[in-house]
Amino acid sequence: MVRGALVALILVTFAATALAAPAGPPIRIGGTLALTGPLAPTALLHKIAGEIYVDELNKGNGLLGRPVEWGLLDDQSKPDLTRSLYEKLITVDKVDLLMGPYATSGILAAMGVAQRYQKVFPHHSFGMPHLAKYEMHFPTAAFGPEPNRTVPTTVFDALAATSNPPKTVAIVTSKFSSAQFQSSGAKEVAEKRGLKVVLYLEYEFGNRDWGALAARVKDANPDFLWIGVLGLDGNQMLEAMKKLDYTPPRHFHLFPAPGPLALAPDAKNALSVTVFEEHPPFMSNAGAAKLVPLFRERATKANVPYPYVETQVAGSWAAWQCLEAAVTATKSLDDKVLAQWLKKNRVDTIIGKLRFDGPNNYGDDLFRVKQVQDGKWVVVWPREFAAPGARLLPP
Amino acid sequence: MPSLTLLGQSVVSGLLAGGLYALLALGLSLSWGLLRLVNLSHFALALLGAYLTYQLGHAFHLAPWLAAGLIVPAFFALGVVLHVVFARFRVTEFTSLLVTFGLAVILESLIQWFWTADYRRYETPWASASIRVGPLFVPTLELLACLTAATLAVATWAWLRFTYVGKALRAAAEDPAMAGAFGVNHRAHAFVLSGISAAYAGVAGAFIALISTLAPAQIWAWLGTVFAVVIIGGLGNPVGALLAGFLIGVSESVTMAVAAPAWAPLVSFSILIGLLVLRPERV
Amino acid sequence: MRQAIGLLAAGLILAMLPLVGLPAFYESFLYLVFHWVALATSWSLLSGYAGYFSFGHGAFFGAGMYTVATLTAGLGAPFLAALPVAAVVATLLSLGIGAVVFRVKRLRGELFGLLTLAITFVLATIVLNTRLDGGPGVYLSNVPLPRLVASPTGTFYLLALGLAVLTLAAAYTITSSRLGLGLFAIHDDEDVAEVEGVPTFAYKLVAFALSAGIAGVAGGIHAMYVSYLTVPDTFSITVPLYVVLMSVLGGARHWLGPAVGAALITASLYAFTGGQQAILGRAVVAFVLILIVLLLPEGLVPAVLRRARGQRGRAADVAVAPILAAAGARTEAPATLDCRDVWRAFGGIQALRGVSLSVAPGEIVALVGPNGSGKTTLINVISGHHAADRGRVELGAATLTGRPAHEIAGLGVSRTYQIPRPFAHFSALDNVALAATFGSARCAPAEARAEARAWLEFTGLGRRAAALPHELNLHERKFLELARALAGRPRVILLDEVLSGLNPGEIASAVHLIRQIRERGVAILFVEHLMRAVLELSDRVVVLNEGEVIAAGGPREAMRAARVIEVYLGKAHVA
Repeated sequence: MVRGALVALILVTFAATALAAPAGPPIRIGGTLALTGPLAPTALLHKIAGEIYVDELNKGNGLLGRPVEWGLLDDQSKPDLTRSLYEKLITVDKVDLLMGPYATSGILAAMGVAQRYQKVFPHHSFGMPHLAKYEMHFPTAAFGPEPNRTVPTTVFDALAATSNPPKTVAIVTSKFSSAQFQSSGAKEVAEKRGLKVVLYLEYEFGNRDWGALAARVKDANPDFLWIGVLGLDGNQMLEAMKKLDYTPPRHFHLFPAPGPLALAPDAKNALSVTVFEEHPPFMSNAGAAKLVPLFRERATKANVPYPYVETQVAGSWAAWQCLEAAVTATKSLDDKVLAQWLKKNRVDTIIGKLRFDGPNNYGDDLFRVKQVQDGKWVVVWPREFAAPGARLLPP
Repeated sequence: MPSLTLLGQSVVSGLLAGGLYALLALGLSLSWGLLRLVNLSHFALALLGAYLTYQLGHAFHLAPWLAAGLIVPAFFALGVVLHVVFARFRVTEFTSLLVTFGLAVILESLIQWFWTADYRRYETPWASASIRVGPLFVPTLELLACLTAATLAVATWAWLRFTYVGKALRAAAEDPAMAGAFGVNHRAHAFVLSGISAAYAGVAGAFIALISTLAPAQIWAWLGTVFAVVIIGGLGNPVGALLAGFLIGVSESVTMAVAAPAWAPLVSFSILIGLLVLRPERV
Repeated sequence: MRQAIGLLAAGLILAMLPLVGLPAFYESFLYLVFHWVALATSWSLLSGYAGYFSFGHGAFFGAGMYTVATLTAGLGAPFLAALPVAAVVATLLSLGIGAVVFRVKRLRGELFGLLTLAITFVLATIVLNTRLDGGPGVYLSNVPLPRLVASPTGTFYLLALGLAVLTLAAAYTITSSRLGLGLFAIHDDEDVAEVEGVPTFAYKLVAFALSAGIAGVAGGIHAMYVSYLTVPDTFSITVPLYVVLMSVLGGARHWLGPAVGAALITASLYAFTGGQQAILGRAVVAFVLILIVLLLPEGLVPAVLRRARGQRGRAADVAVAPILAAAGARTEAPATLDCRDVWRAFGGIQALRGVSLSVAPGEIVALVGPNGSGKTTLINVISGHHAADRGRVELGAATLTGRPAHEIAGLGVSRTYQIPRPFAHFSALDNVALAATFGSARCAPAEARAEARAWLEFTGLGRRAAALPHELNLHERKFLELARALAGRPRVILLDEVLSGLNPGEIASAVHLIRQIRERGVAILFVEHLMRAVLELSDRVVVLNEGEVIAAGGPREAMRAARVIEVYLGKAHVA
């Protein structure tokens, strides 16, 4: 039944494509991504998402009937280069609209430029909401204004609703700015809720010796382990603990590389947070039915090992959706007009309804709790977003 | 006060981490000490070896030791070819930095081209295996890596110490003109050494694939620590590199076990600075 | 001079650029270029010129960044007031490091590189774990940027341009001054440089401080430019690695080299930023860099200059030939060298056991004895290379013991080395000119070169003035040692086996030369194995064995003393 509807939808989309092709001078959207350097693993996903979006726009009616061109530059994971490249996009290439780069440092570097030239600045991967003061930035990493409070609260709520909620917590976090920010918040939230924080450790970003950290966690033997990780640190941590013949009963990973974690043998029942997974009810969000199969196809072709849509890709896609929605609704490319519209309206995106009228242009915290079950991520909390029949599996 | 088990476990973990540093440091130390070439591309070669191990295992289901059996000789040949270029253009210690940096960037691009920038993880059943010794656990793969490092270090030391080729190489490093006068064919031996150095990168790569996670930019992640290990150990001194790896590994690991983990580099590198300033003749 | 005016003019013209109204990107791009010019050039002041290879430039850069961040964002200080503080903090850091490290003779080469790298790690760890950062990073968005010109990018551009011009001016001034000459000598052979009169410790410290201070300012400006600082970005391997690469590419020993390398490498970062060719582009840039270095290993600037000079050079060479030996006419007031009860041990080995001897002006004293008897050690103690454990060495009214070697050289002590140790990258002329600059002669640069030419003529090397040491044969190198020792206008000259390895003809001319030196009223102490020369030349002979004087007196009497025969020929021969 659902599949039938999907096919119909796709057919309609194709039909629409055939009817109207965009014409006129292209609308140029400029942005950078860390295509090389240490941030490249995740930036690659943003590149694929953006390419799909622009291709789809051009297959349809473009923007305002004009074709869209994405001027994508490589900022090489360097904030200083990012800054100057946004200056290039604005002052030399004179692009019509901007799209943000990947990750907090780069976004802050570019936001300053956008502010100076008063450009609308949507972005998709910013982790420190309290630092974003520019009135025309529009974040789609939908943490809400205080993720250090709200994200841990969601996670501890989920745990509290299980049959045997944890009483002791260990928090181990990388000193990577956004991870540390939320992890130190998790400590406060846990303590406020009467949980005992038996271990709180911060390690240097780029750490390679996991044995000592694992031994300390084993020594503390918590009911619940919060790992403030980036990328694959969580896998390494789990493996290191397994080597000590220890598996924490419950473990949470803040910003994991989703694929490798889901597939790791030690990651059974691992928890994380997400704004999108490829199952209901998320699949009925705006654009989900279109993006999921296209992303699978493109990502597989690009040799990406985990070709599924989740937080990063969906956040990226949502940023494009906001830009398109504002342009289409206002029929304008004027930054002030677009910003005004985005501030006043809710945008229906793949990660849900976004609003930008809260503190620092942040809206609701849309992050949900997900868990690895049978080698796949499924959302388990809050209940209304859980995959059909899924619930948080206790240890 | 941390428990004795925790302390013991952290020492084990530090020794094993140090073993991996040493494994990476060996080849670098040899080429720097005996050929006066600072080979930044050593890390890139190691990572290429890791990706190849991953690829052979992942796509062709070739066991890692068989993969290493293919990679190591191939890397030996690669090392020889590299030295042909270095010798042809008379690359010096100073210019070798830039040449091998360029080479590392090319290899990084190559890796990213084939395997994308996305993370790769070689899942094997041995990844979380360990041997139990009393209250302590010794991870199997890390132990194997560490033993390999120790074996290679001692074997290389013996080779340099007792064989003609080894002695000739050391003599040539100390005084090329004099060694040349005694009829030592430095250049031929240099090719062998360059090959061995690259082969060691291949060995290290195989273990990195099994133990660690892969991303192209990781080439640069090891640079600082391994450089330190190479120099503390003494250039061209394989056993020294092994001991230096242990020193850095254990001091960091124990700090992580008893204090705030993020302070770990302060302890290990302060020890190092102290050693350098107070006992430079020992280094 | 022409270069200095050129630099100033280029700086002024470039400073006009923000008025032209170029798109902000170009200012921003040029900001980054000049930022790296300042960083790479500052690195080369110590590491390129003096060869103290630092992997720790990131520490000073980072110290500057976090100083500005802490003062402005944390304490509300204005940006321009914080910049000098950044320089001061980085300078103090380097002085602290240098004051300890430069005293330890072994901490050269790769050990110095390691040390500076380790200091970077330690500093990064401290910043990461204290209030300076603590992990979340420091954001400078609320810090007002002073308006030098209308646009902020223009302001950054002018700041970096100013810093780059100042840095290049400093580099240019240094390379053509005593300091630069001394640093280059340290690069080639630090011990010899010190003995020739270069105050090596002070020079290294000055170069290090200047280098670090400039890096601190560059970091301070860059903190405002990126406006969000994190420890991993700030103390990453990028800065220490890139300054090295830029200097290698451009030529680290030329004042302009690192700047050219910096401009090229920074521009290459932008060469392939287009999203589709980013990966391949990086590989292409890397390949081009490799090609350049393989084909022009000494660096772009020196290679280009050499080629340009190659066409003009030969004509200039001819004009050098006839110069009168005007120099050497004036010598310092003669003085007597006195060693009294000098002791020196190495570990458990007692190399000198109470040696006393004196050499009067115009006297030639030969120091003989079997291998390992302490002859060279005595020369090393007199010249200040080794300190005496006990006893005194005096020259006239001045006490030499306890002084650093460069002061002893300044008081008029010169030496030669048994195996010649010329500065490898200096021409024969420059080798001698260095001694004239730093020895007791203390010539100004131009005067030093004239003086050096005279001494080269004196030793018969006039036509080899432009040759590099490796182009000279042994005899020429020995005579170069002599010329270098004489150029300091010494009152005492210590000759360590100047005759060994020479053929009879060469020995004859050397003997003639030494006699001429004596006629100038110089006191000569010479170590020699060649008995014929000892007997022919010396007024007196001092025989050393196992660190003790076993005989002294006229040449023939001393050599006939019973203990001397015993030492040389064994007991059986003592009749």
